[in-house]
Amino acid sequence: MKNFAKNFVKRKEFGIILIVVILSVILTFLSSAFLTVTNIMDFMKSNSVYGIMAFGMLPVLISAGIDLSVSATIALSAVVIGKFMLAFPNSNPVIVILVAMIVGAVVGVVNGLIITKFNIPPIVTTLGVMTIVNGAVLLGTGGAWISGLPQWWVSFGSFKLFGIIPTQLFMLIFAGLVTWLILKFTLVGRGIYAVGGSQSSAVRVGYNVNRILIFIYAFCGMMAGLGAAAHISIVGQVDPNTYTGYELDVISTVVLGGASVMGGTGTVFGTTLGVILMAVLKNGLILARIPNYWQKVVMGLVIIIAVSVDVINRKREQAKLVRVDVEE
Amino acid sequence: MKMKKLLSLTLVTAMVATMSLTGCGSKEEAPAETPAPAESEAPAAPAESAAPAESEAPAASGESYDIVVMPKLIGIPYFNQTGEGAEKAGKDLGVNVIYNGPTTADAAEQVKMLEDYITQGVDAICVAPNDPAALDPVLKKAREAGIKVLDWDTPATEDLVDASIHQISDKELGEHCVDKLVEYMGTEEGEYAIITGGLSAANLNAWIKYAREYAEEKFPNLKLVADPYPTDEKQDVALSTAKDVMKAYPDLKGFICMSTPAPIGTAQAVRELGLQDKVTVVGTCVEEDCQDVLSDGSLDCGMLWNTQNLGYLTVACAKALLDGNTLSNGATIDGWDSPLVMENDKIVVMGPPDDYEKK
Repeated sequence: MKNFAKNFVKRKEFGIILIVVILSVILTFLSSAFLTVTNIMDFMKSNSVYGIMAFGMLPVLISAGIDLSVSATIALSAVVIGKFMLAFPNSNPVIVILVAMIVGAVVGVVNGLIITKFNIPPIVTTLGVMTIVNGAVLLGTGGAWISGLPQWWVSFGSFKLFGIIPTQLFMLIFAGLVTWLILKFTLVGRGIYAVGGSQSSAVRVGYNVNRILIFIYAFCGMMAGLGAAAHISIVGQVDPNTYTGYELDVISTVVLGGASVMGGTGTVFGTTLGVILMAVLKNGLILARIPNYWQKVVMGLVIIIAVSVDVINRKREQAKLVRVDVEE
Repeated sequence: MKMKKLLSLTLVTAMVATMSLTGCGSKEEAPAETPAPAESEAPAAPAESAAPAESEAPAASGESYDIVVMPKLIGIPYFNQTGEGAEKAGKDLGVNVIYNGPTTADAAEQVKMLEDYITQGVDAICVAPNDPAALDPVLKKAREAGIKVLDWDTPATEDLVDASIHQISDKELGEHCVDKLVEYMGTEEGEYAIITGGLSAANLNAWIKYAREYAEEKFPNLKLVADPYPTDEKQDVALSTAKDVMKAYPDLKGFICMSTPAPIGTAQAVRELGLQDKVTVVGTCVEEDCQDVLSDGSLDCGMLWNTQNLGYLTVACAKALLDGNTLSNGATIDGWDSPLVMENDKIVVMGPPDDYEKK
């Protein structure tokens, strides 16, 4: 049984690995600019924000929850750190990132409290919180951009280690590493999978489900905050309206990476692959000079193929499982 | 137990807040404002009819015009600025301007709000429709109620409006972009690309269409490398897309960017690759937001119409119509210094765009 589960997870990611590899080979043939270090760094930088938020979303989906408020959370964090930097021009990037993460975590805790204390489904709670936070952002800014951020922040955003690795990639790796450590090595991490598998069983085994849920949403909010810092470091100014629709991109990236919205499954490795696939697609289709109107069609096709490989595999495995049960 | 009660109270408050923010928020303001003018007007109307002899009234009647100016949505810089202009016109011209709209670009919400204003009996409605067809019935209703109907920023169905205020001629803007591109490229030949906000935005598509036609005709050696690249009205998407386009077409000499975040994102891409001297970027953007990218030549020329003036002109035209004047080419109206430029008997065009260039 254990072996079977392991194989299953492996095969799940195998599908998406295969597609990333095939796609990369094709794109390398179509464009000499694709498989270069600069290009890879560039597209990882542009997709780091989605990636960071995807790592935050992963535990939520594993727990069979959903967080629609991430787009509002990232907007709030972005606005707060934008105003923070204008108010404290002698601050430094570390403090700014911390502030962003704290703001995000606060929104997450509110989500978690409402979900656990009142037993309101996550989709309703986070939708409500999203609207409230969006309204607050609108009230606070009037929709105006915040620009004129301090020079040290601009330098931080355009910094590249050895002239190659951009700051944002470090943030992405940090987010992935933390998520991986939590899911793999902590009791909370185990609990997240348990809750997603079956909440009542998780309670029976002795997990404090409420505490786990609050943690998950706080973590997701925190990552949205980190995403805000990454985003602002790329674009250099705060446009509070730019984040609408982020939640869907983030959720679809995680699902593409093999996590199920039904809960119980999903890995950091898979999510990383999901992020890479989306990044390669967006970047490669332009480099390969695919006509723009076709790009969306191709993108949709690849996503459907990637997900159906997983679904077909799972169906096959389930069919086997049933037969074994009957025979025994 | 107490804690729980407190929490549920908070939740209820939160939910109410949500509702008022999503939809009813915009409405909430409307009824709050309505009783006042409606009540003051109700007694005023019979008074007027009972005492038509009151000849000192013209000034007062001008002041009692209620002009609704409805943007596609409130809370974005563009429509904040048009609102400032509209409200300024209200003060200058002595009319009561109600500047209000939905918080998201939602046509259904606009219909609901307009219904409310019709019930209140305002004198003129100037609307920037999110979806022209969706607004047809409510605009018809407004006309039947004797309300002057104008559109601005984006045209409504032409038959249903008394006047249509265009910020710019689409053709002029498209052609101006190409002229500026060639001016800054310093050559009439080479490859260029178009970055746009979205492939389904009617106004952006119109500008692009005119730009392409003009470029093909006047500068046959300019080569458009591909169809316009969409960027979801997002600066970071414009940034990464423009970077990828420059990699795909290493000989590219220039970008034309439509939609306000696009030129800024594109200029940042040019800056990141250090190609300020090789790649020209021109496009539509808000003046305050483009100063940084203008400063080092990443952006060569930004352009847009004067947003405040658009709101101002809309109110001025509405008042002129309410005063019983007709709008005609070359005519002058209160509050607007230059003579009107009209494309036909309804379409008023504000004028050429303002250019933002490095000083």
